[in-house]
Amino acid sequence: MDASVDLLINAVVSGLLLGGFYAAVSIGVAIAFGMLDIVNIAHPAVILLGSYVAYIANTVFGIDPILAAAIMLPAFYVLGMAAYQVYYLAFERRDDQSIRGLSFFFGILFIAEVGLIMGFGVDYRSVQAWYTQGNLHLAVIELPWRLLVPFLLGLAMVAGLQIFLSRTFVGRAIQAVAQDQGALRLMAANPAKIKRIAFGLSFATAAIAGAALIIIQPVEPSIGREYIGRIFAICVLGGLGSFPGMVIAAVTLGIVESLTATFFGPSWAPAVSFGVLLVTLAVRPNGILGR
Amino acid sequence: MASSLSISNIDAGYGAVSVLHDVSLTVGAGETVALLGTNGNGKSTLMKSIMGMVRPSAGKITATIEGTSHELIGRSTEEIVDLGIGFVPEGRRLFPKLTVTENLLLGAFRPTARSAIARNMEFCFETFPRLKERARQLAGSMSGGEQQMLALARALMSAPRILLIDEPSVGLAPLLVSRTIDKIKELKEGFDLTVLMAEQNFTQAVRIADRGYVIVHGRIAFTGESAEALNNNDLIREFYLGA
Repeated sequence: MDASVDLLINAVVSGLLLGGFYAAVSIGVAIAFGMLDIVNIAHPAVILLGSYVAYIANTVFGIDPILAAAIMLPAFYVLGMAAYQVYYLAFERRDDQSIRGLSFFFGILFIAEVGLIMGFGVDYRSVQAWYTQGNLHLAVIELPWRLLVPFLLGLAMVAGLQIFLSRTFVGRAIQAVAQDQGALRLMAANPAKIKRIAFGLSFATAAIAGAALIIIQPVEPSIGREYIGRIFAICVLGGLGSFPGMVIAAVTLGIVESLTATFFGPSWAPAVSFGVLLVTLAVRPNGILGR
Repeated sequence: MASSLSISNIDAGYGAVSVLHDVSLTVGAGETVALLGTNGNGKSTLMKSIMGMVRPSAGKITATIEGTSHELIGRSTEEIVDLGIGFVPEGRRLFPKLTVTENLLLGAFRPTARSAIARNMEFCFETFPRLKERARQLAGSMSGGEQQMLALARALMSAPRILLIDEPSVGLAPLLVSRTIDKIKELKEGFDLTVLMAEQNFTQAVRIADRGYVIVHGRIAFTGESAEALNNNDLIREFYLGA
């Protein structure tokens, strides 16, 4: 087969894998921003916290990064509930969440970043596991394990949460809460409690996404910033409130970035991704699968 | 077991504006009571006071659910719904971006309603075949009449003992109004409910009401102990029939 066809296939495949990882980092924002209307721009910092937890567990205790994330899941869930409680008491209850809430999360982002710099310095950190090197060979396709594992983690997480949201009472209430809080009370559900659970889940996804991030690439404290724009772009592109839409958007962005990086150079990738976002929104203002 | 509602001497309003003055009203077990009055006389404020959405400054609201009495003032809306008091609010308040089925299932959020979901859903679909046809459609994309049906069905999914309905006729074509009123009677009988319905369409409301109250400027101006008494009242002639 022609070398450039191999290159194309491999670029598409690694873009696809990257997309699964993007879904993992975006799903927390898809919940907070897409379903609760909470603009949590500190989410990448929470993901980084997850990366550093996985790093410590891995280097100090020799624990597998994914296992470490699974162990830390309840702690992240509780942290998320606590963060929502502060946000609720300080802003939402007084009905001035939009701008002040944004600065609140901006503050958290900076504090988390500075905290990580003080704790770990600005050096790049990475983890070791059987899947951090080597490839899975399928004919001409090379599947790097360090991309394949985060891809699978991302998809599993999206599938699990999608089932939870569509099949459980709390899940359906989470989908409804931003549409009409007062009406949700008439369903005998407490909106603040529902949002607290949802925000806890959003943080819990960051534990897994953090492990996925440090498996894919070495991390340093300010790396989260690279992801803020991309994450929000994916949520908007997919259509707020739709997980399937978010996955399609994440994969689209992954493939577009990978193709651009392969054929035109990595520096073009962000420009092309945001071009895709703008064109899509011009055609479908509610995103790919927005309701 | 009997479920009833008793409101005694409540005052309520919004901030400095007082709307209700010394309002007393009862809804006996198994009754359908109409709360009649034109716009701006305090019907919705009274409904919201019962549901904990407006806090009365004086008076008592007591609900007896299956023989147990509960004082409602001071409780949150979700607690009141959880006691077994359903509310169909003015403007319907559906979740527009969720499907008909998802809206109905949210209606059954209340733990005591969850065991009866299959039966209640079937009953709702039998009563409103249209909802079954539209089960997978987004609630926001339906017509006004269909949305009113869904709002009623969603309230029933919470398996209430007492049902409050605020202005079911608003925004509906005349034919749909009478159909909706008929459906309310059907649901009331099917679920053995106690119903309080606020309505400004006097003739339609009186068709299914056992008794009624006329509210004028936030006070109960007339208590009609039968549909006949309501029909023959001067005040009502003056308000509704222009005579």
